[in-house]
Amino acid sequence: MNFFKRQWMVPYLFLAPALIGTIAFKLYPIFIGFWESLIYTSFSGGAEKRIFVWFENYQYLFDDKIFWKSLEITAFLTIIINPLQIAMSLGLALLLMRKSKFIRIIRSLYLLPIGIALPIATIIWGLMLDPNQGLINGLIGVFGIPPQPFLVSENQALWCIIAIATWKGVAFWMLFLLAGLEDIPKQYYEAAEIDGATPFQKFRYVTIPQLKRTILFVFVADTAANFVLMVPMIILTKGGPLQSTNVLIYEGYRSGFYYQDWGRSLSIVTILTVITLIVIGLQLLFLSEKNEGIKVK
Amino acid sequence: MKKILASLCTIFLFSNIVTSAKAEINFLIGTWAEEPLTPFVEAFEKETGIEVNIQTFPFRDLLATIEVRGNAQADDVDVIFVDAPLVPSYAVRGMIGPMDQYFADTSLNAIFAPAGIAAASWNGEMYAPPLNNSGQLTYYNKDLLAKAGCAEPSMIEAERVTWEEIVDCAKKITDEANGVHGFIFDQISRYYQLQALPESAGGGSGVCEGGLSVKGCLTNDGWMKAGQFYYDIHNTSNISPKGVGPDQTHELFGLGKIGIFVGGSWNNGRWADTDLNYGVALHPYFEGGKVVTGCNSWHIGVWNYSKQKDDAAKLVRYLTASPEVAIHYVEEHNSLPAHNSAILHVAEDPKFNNFPGIVMNLATYESANHCATRGRTPGFLEFEEIVNTSFEDIRNGGDPASVLADAESRIESSMRRYK
Repeated sequence: MNFFKRQWMVPYLFLAPALIGTIAFKLYPIFIGFWESLIYTSFSGGAEKRIFVWFENYQYLFDDKIFWKSLEITAFLTIIINPLQIAMSLGLALLLMRKSKFIRIIRSLYLLPIGIALPIATIIWGLMLDPNQGLINGLIGVFGIPPQPFLVSENQALWCIIAIATWKGVAFWMLFLLAGLEDIPKQYYEAAEIDGATPFQKFRYVTIPQLKRTILFVFVADTAANFVLMVPMIILTKGGPLQSTNVLIYEGYRSGFYYQDWGRSLSIVTILTVITLIVIGLQLLFLSEKNEGIKVK
Repeated sequence: MKKILASLCTIFLFSNIVTSAKAEINFLIGTWAEEPLTPFVEAFEKETGIEVNIQTFPFRDLLATIEVRGNAQADDVDVIFVDAPLVPSYAVRGMIGPMDQYFADTSLNAIFAPAGIAAASWNGEMYAPPLNNSGQLTYYNKDLLAKAGCAEPSMIEAERVTWEEIVDCAKKITDEANGVHGFIFDQISRYYQLQALPESAGGGSGVCEGGLSVKGCLTNDGWMKAGQFYYDIHNTSNISPKGVGPDQTHELFGLGKIGIFVGGSWNNGRWADTDLNYGVALHPYFEGGKVVTGCNSWHIGVWNYSKQKDDAAKLVRYLTASPEVAIHYVEEHNSLPAHNSAILHVAEDPKFNNFPGIVMNLATYESANHCATRGRTPGFLEFEEIVNTSFEDIRNGGDPASVLADAESRIESSMRRYK
């Protein structure tokens, strides 16, 4: 009974399952990953030797132009795909907020991509983007556009992957934004209308500020998800052509599972984890609300 | 009544003890081998009382699974499929153990062809006996060649077709507007098949002497010539289509969309149900160069972390040393044998002297006389993956010289682990 009288413990008790899960399945693997990134496995002389080399694996990585190219592609992908997905999700959510008797059917249609697993969606898109017999080349041919190489072109492959991931992701992120939009009190819009606000002014001064927390969550979650996006690379491009889709997570995966170079693989994954934390930290810094509430002038 | 019940209980318990004591081994194989091997595995189970759990995986997944299980030093695997060039890699990393002791009562030379034993060995010890072998040939669409006015390639050594003649003919056949291309490789952008190009141009396997370096061996003149050839057929003359995977090439040939198809003997049975009017000839070579074809295939090894190595070795010996298994592979699956009895079977059975059976005879000839063993290195896994990616990059328009230089530097870096 005394135990329950110690009220300070109650929140920790409630938090304990989540904390244990986070430590066991998130923090511990991160720590193990970092520790293993300091180890170099040698098969010199025909016997396996695990050697603690401090940051030598990182040093090799920083001298490796494949790593830098991979980092460049990851940065490019992040800069393009996250704002694109969020802008499209928001646009779609705003469209689906409009009143129509078919709105439920339309909403269901837009949600369909969520129900398709990413590997299956990727395979289907791969077939459609086939440069020889794909549906897309057939469709653009109707408009007189010559067949495109898509996934076998150094200049088009990453854009194709952005398109596939966006098609799959937009509906998912839209759900959160739709819920956020539904939560904005109608009175704010009515007040803005009485003040003569234009639709853009309502969006700029009512919707965006009220949706800021939801947008922040979507931004952070979307960024984290896209940093580990590699299913299309595994299934369709294998990081090519000419490394044009070789993002860091795929390079890490390939180093570990194809080349069995776990030191290199885990060094890449550790660097990616640090980059993800920095980017998300910056997003939180610049986008988070400071509990200002609604200012009354 | 009590006595009857007690007896029944005793029998029940005893049967359980017997059941649980029954040996059981886990066998990791490629999906393509399930059908040919299952009847023989069942026969092995009957003969020895050892239960075999077959676990099948597609090619890439099989290799990845073996790596993951090896990394974990898992003891729930007993026997594995081993791709011939991976024998040194698995041996050096201790994933498979030497098997000479399990063949001590016989001579390996009496069972297997010398090339098979060589591929199965590393540092003088035999690690994984061969299940079968492979050979590459030139298949051609007679109608498309006749329409283009090309001479049919020959089965006679003195008239062996050259790569230059193949390109000339393929240019005449190619009609991109109608989806017809003059030429295609079976295993597109895979080192197994494309090794024949640099080898024929005098560039060697890509792996330097000793197996621990590729410095200068992947960027020599032979490899540059091969890289340029591969670039040209996809980007200059466009006689080969881009964006087609290795699983689609034989289908395109079967549909009559390809003039000349260079591929393995196993393809022969694939077009039996089509109207394809095709012929077969010897593998091409560069004019003035060496005659070389891809060879070797799958081997079987005992997992070094297995707790039942003796039982596992019995299965390996049963499947590899048995002439019945090798002849079944020849008859039913057009796979070349590594077993001497099956090689003799191909040489003596008259049906292999006429088309389409002659495919086996020609492939056996190519493999026996012009086999280019893949680069022998403990770092083959990394080497092959990087070389495959490089060929694909060249196919997609990458400059052969810089792609090969990048590949060489990358492989050299990964080889440091074995030096």
